Amino acid sequence: MSNATAPHVPSPEKMDPSGAFLSFVVPGLGQILQGRIGKGLLFFVGVYSLFFYGQFLGQWQNVYFGDTASEAQKNWSWPRLLVNLYNRPQYAGQFWVGAAAWPAAYHYWADPPTESPQHRNAIAQPEKMNWLQRTQYAIPEDRLNELQRDGDKRWDLGWVYTVIAGVLNVLVIYDALAGPAFGRDGKGKPA
Amino acid sequence: MNPLLAESIYWHFPILLVVVSLIYSATRFEDWPSIMSEALSWGSRMAGFLATIGIVLYVVSTYF
Repeated sequence: MSNATAPHVPSPEKMDPSGAFLSFVVPGLGQILQGRIGKGLLFFVGVYSLFFYGQFLGQWQNVYFGDTASEAQKNWSWPRLLVNLYNRPQYAGQFWVGAAAWPAAYHYWADPPTESPQHRNAIAQPEKMNWLQRTQYAIPEDRLNELQRDGDKRWDLGWVYTVIAGVLNVLVIYDALAGPAFGRDGKGKPA
Repeated sequence: MNPLLAESIYWHFPILLVVVSLIYSATRFEDWPSIMSEALSWGSRMAGFLATIGIVLYVVSTYF
């Protein structure tokens, strides 16, 4: 028996993993290539605004991920990556913003341990670093303490913004994966 | 100067409210009127929640 007043609920869209991956790399890119250009641009501008504004509040030094495992932590049975995420959990949220947070991942794999003399010497001479080396490198603890002490809470507020931007992009990735949303009443058409 | 009007980290909150409201709403709806309506609703609720906490803390720190 059919109910003439029941709202029309569209059948589920086919999952789009490539769209989800593109939205992971650049927020909204998957939606744009799916033809949902308005929403894609909204996601792009919104997520990047929040992420870069957060970095600006933190003097561009609050998105990083370094090898900070202490001597005691090296005896833990955890994989080294998990130990370092334990020390810097913010990056687990920032990572999902995509390519904008990849320089930090590059530094994690390419740089010596954060507190080592080699790393301190390298970051003490920024004029000798190229763009990638200057971007999102890990900060030793004494520099971190200076930023938090002198930053009037903005450094911390900034990383909160960058983490929220990364987590919001998880929603954007799922939107690209699952296709158009139709809301509670089954209405809606691609924007 | 009134501390609420002085330079404060709280002036950075509007961009957070606007972006979170818009993006969350856009992941639930496709048409712009529904997105804007939901974003306005979420933005108002979050702003009201934060304002309430701010007012309570201001009163407590000023009068108690």
